[in-house]
Amino acid sequence: MIAARSVWRRLDLFQTAAAALLAVLGIMTIYSAGADWAKQSLWILLGAGAYVLAAALDYRRLMPPAAALYGGMVLLLLGVHLVGRSALGARRWLSVAGFPLEPSELSKLLLVVTLAAFLGRQPSLSWRRFAAVLALAAPPAALILTQPDLGTTIVFAAILVGLLFLGGARPAQLASIGLAAVVTIPVLPLVLHGYQRRRLEIFLNPSSDPLGAGYNLLQARIAVGAGGFFGQGWLHGLQGQLGFVPERATDFVFAIYAEQFGLLGSLFLLAIFGTLLVRVLKAAAVAPDRFGELIAGGVFVMVFSQVVENVGMNIGMLPIAGIPLPLISYGGSATITTLAALGLVQSVVLRRRTIVHERQAIHPEGFDPATVRLMV
Amino acid sequence: MIDPGRWIALAASAPKPRWSVRLIAAASLAIFALASLSVKLAQLQVTEGPSLAALARANSVHRVVLEADRGIIYDRHGTALVLNSPAWNVEVVPEAMPVTTPARQAEIAELSRLTGVTQDELSAAIASADPYGAVRVGPSLTEDQELAIAERVPSLPGVSIARHGVRTYLYPTILGHVIGYVGPIAPSQARQMEARGYQPDELIGKVGVEAGLESRLRGIDGWADVVVDARGEVVRTLAVHEPVAGESVYLTIDLQLELATASALAAGLQRDHKKAGASVVVDPRTGEVLAMVSIPGYDTNLFTHGISQADYTKLTTDPLLPLLNRAIAGQYAPGSTFKMVTATAGLQEGKITPDTLLGCPSYLTFGGWVYHNWASYNLGYMNVAKALALSCDTFFYQVAARVGDVTLARYARAFGFGQAEDIEMPGVQPGLVPDSIWKQLACHVPDLNSDSCRWTIGDTVTFGIGQSALLTTPLNQAVYVAALANGGAVLQPTLVHQVRDASGRLLLKQKTVVVDHVPVSASNLAAVREGMREEINRPYNMNYWFRSAGVPADGGGKTGTAQWGGSGLDLPTHAWFVFFAPFASPDVAMSIFVERGGLSEVEAAPIGVQIMKFFNDNRVAIQSSIGAN
Repeated sequence: MIAARSVWRRLDLFQTAAAALLAVLGIMTIYSAGADWAKQSLWILLGAGAYVLAAALDYRRLMPPAAALYGGMVLLLLGVHLVGRSALGARRWLSVAGFPLEPSELSKLLLVVTLAAFLGRQPSLSWRRFAAVLALAAPPAALILTQPDLGTTIVFAAILVGLLFLGGARPAQLASIGLAAVVTIPVLPLVLHGYQRRRLEIFLNPSSDPLGAGYNLLQARIAVGAGGFFGQGWLHGLQGQLGFVPERATDFVFAIYAEQFGLLGSLFLLAIFGTLLVRVLKAAAVAPDRFGELIAGGVFVMVFSQVVENVGMNIGMLPIAGIPLPLISYGGSATITTLAALGLVQSVVLRRRTIVHERQAIHPEGFDPATVRLMV
Repeated sequence: MIDPGRWIALAASAPKPRWSVRLIAAASLAIFALASLSVKLAQLQVTEGPSLAALARANSVHRVVLEADRGIIYDRHGTALVLNSPAWNVEVVPEAMPVTTPARQAEIAELSRLTGVTQDELSAAIASADPYGAVRVGPSLTEDQELAIAERVPSLPGVSIARHGVRTYLYPTILGHVIGYVGPIAPSQARQMEARGYQPDELIGKVGVEAGLESRLRGIDGWADVVVDARGEVVRTLAVHEPVAGESVYLTIDLQLELATASALAAGLQRDHKKAGASVVVDPRTGEVLAMVSIPGYDTNLFTHGISQADYTKLTTDPLLPLLNRAIAGQYAPGSTFKMVTATAGLQEGKITPDTLLGCPSYLTFGGWVYHNWASYNLGYMNVAKALALSCDTFFYQVAARVGDVTLARYARAFGFGQAEDIEMPGVQPGLVPDSIWKQLACHVPDLNSDSCRWTIGDTVTFGIGQSALLTTPLNQAVYVAALANGGAVLQPTLVHQVRDASGRLLLKQKTVVVDHVPVSASNLAAVREGMREEINRPYNMNYWFRSAGVPADGGGKTGTAQWGGSGLDLPTHAWFVFFAPFASPDVAMSIFVERGGLSEVEAAPIGVQIMKFFNDNRVAIQSSIGAN
């Protein structure tokens, strides 16, 4: 108990506060969208539990079973393909004890952990190990892409590239990935599903089909713009409240947030995300080992890529891909995964490097050996 | 147990974070990306904010037109002649339809199945419409269709059933020519009507009183500003401006007399195997039209629900011209019914006196041409009254020759000939009063001295018996005979007795308008009227019809058998009868016209007698009205 007190004191409260604030704003926005805010609150509570558990768990204990975690992730994704439930033309959900579970959300965190474990073993990255990382990432990415879930695949790619970068990949290795991307882009239209290709076209020319596929993008843009500087006020957004913005609790939640809270509220939201991201990166900077550093770095990439893509598509800067806005969008799997990931980052923070000043203890029994072990 | 208060935490200080180059790069990327999003956000929300906010408003706030009920048309006693019956139309808000093409196609297919409109037509109508407005598709629904679609509406986003008032004419054929019908605005009129505040899909009066009183019947549409959600459902109403129903019009028509007139005319036509005719009954004291019938008529209800092309083609290509309101727009030579004008002119101009005796030979020669009387034997000398009673042509050739064409034309115009009556419906034709000046203007030949341009004495004398190029209409004739009845006042005929607003408040009570006084002395007019009285009292001829019908021959009448289609002896004729009663103080005047009729005293007069019989039997009821309260 003593140990716990002293350890929890190191908790990065800025990060916790930022996550809590986002969760509250998320529930408010989901309420305004007419979605099930009570259920989202439950997901947040469950996520808070996962956050605490992940923080309490010594992240280093995830290192040995990394291979098993990887195997579990691939099995889960395979399971989706075999027994998953379909909705909106994609097979993404597994039914677990009556609850729909979206393994692709959970797999983001599992990918971070497993790649961090692999990359964290050695400080440098040989071409052989580089190839091994790519080979590790390929099967789950392929399984997700074929669900089809372009959005999560993009996040996967971001995590992979981000972790390679932070994990010490050589400039030549990074350049080769860039080259591969350049080569792939012309082939993309042939690989993409019809609706994905259409989304790309619409992104390039949104008004080409205002009532068809461009509808979402256009209505989201209108909603964001209608927010103006101060916003229409909570629960007073025309676009959001009257249902003109589609998917308004999930993919386009930012649009209806921006309509209600305006530029002021939007910048505030981005500032909180900025705070959160910087605190996560700082966790990487204080991590006691490369595994911890890469876990924090991976979570940073995971959250960062989703924020940028989601906000970007809401305001028409990026093509539409079904990516939730972390902690704001409605959804159990995504919310709980994000909070668990942030909790894991806290686990890194809690076990950060410390300089122990050996002092005479006033305590009659001296140092609690458990405390010391935990700190080093 | 350890006392926590006495325990001092292990002093441990965190070292400075180790910010590697790559971590700094990642942080920079994050800050750069978030800053880029912020810039774009500022652009959207501040620079483009107002225009996008307007788009958001346009998405959800719509002005809905609240249709004003069209005014009801009653007869003079307050019997409704037309109703606004409810009809249902499918309306589609394109914006609220499904977004994805397959779902939208499926909805259009379902809508096509329910309404019977082809998918292509539906798609075209939806594509060309205002995406946020409701567009009416297809014809009015039958009750079965309405029920079937109402059941399906909840599962068809953007589709609704709108209720409209549709004109239902209770006497669609008999009163069709008087009341007319409403229809969509013609494309050529669209811009003009839009300027007057009409909606593009609004119905307006096309003919008859519906058209003539459009501005009174129309009412004022209201509006409501409503907020709708993405499914097109009204969430709340911001403001409402209630519609004002159109004014109620009480016609001068007496429905029972109208029906009696129509059946008398129809029976008369049928008896003589004739197809077309018209009759106008007026009150010679006020100019009120008590009955107006034109046969053949047509079912005006065909038009209100959207007439089919086949039905319309049938009406427009019918050689009997059922769409022509002969009472106001059929122009025919008046024949002998015009002789009262010639008589008046001769008397008033001093060319004859009531006692002047002129011969009535079987023919006379003017300008080298022979002009016949209807009788092939000499009827002897007679005064003007007897000449009218016997309808002696040769007598009036002489009077016309003495009066001259220009003066005779002046008297004709004084009686209202040659002028379109100012009555509450469009399409009134003026007829034609010819004279030498008219002939010069109308001949369209370069040489004004050619035969076709030169007015001859023959033109004058035939003008005197209502031929030449003289044309009149049954309404014109009714106004003319009313003037003879009431002592020379040419009245403006009217179909409107009263106008009230929807709550029954009196807005307008028709006043008698005297257009002109015929310049005739009382004694001269009395001589003319005496001729008309004698005509219907001559034994064995006209009087027979009155006696056989049990109607007192108390009044003045004149038959006319007008030749048409050129000049010559053996031409087809129209039959006329004009009549007023009672003789001393007339309260009814009428004209009866039978197209291609034979002898007027055989074909037209009995119809007038039948109408008069009904009038006599129902005089008090007919002359009463809704009253001034």
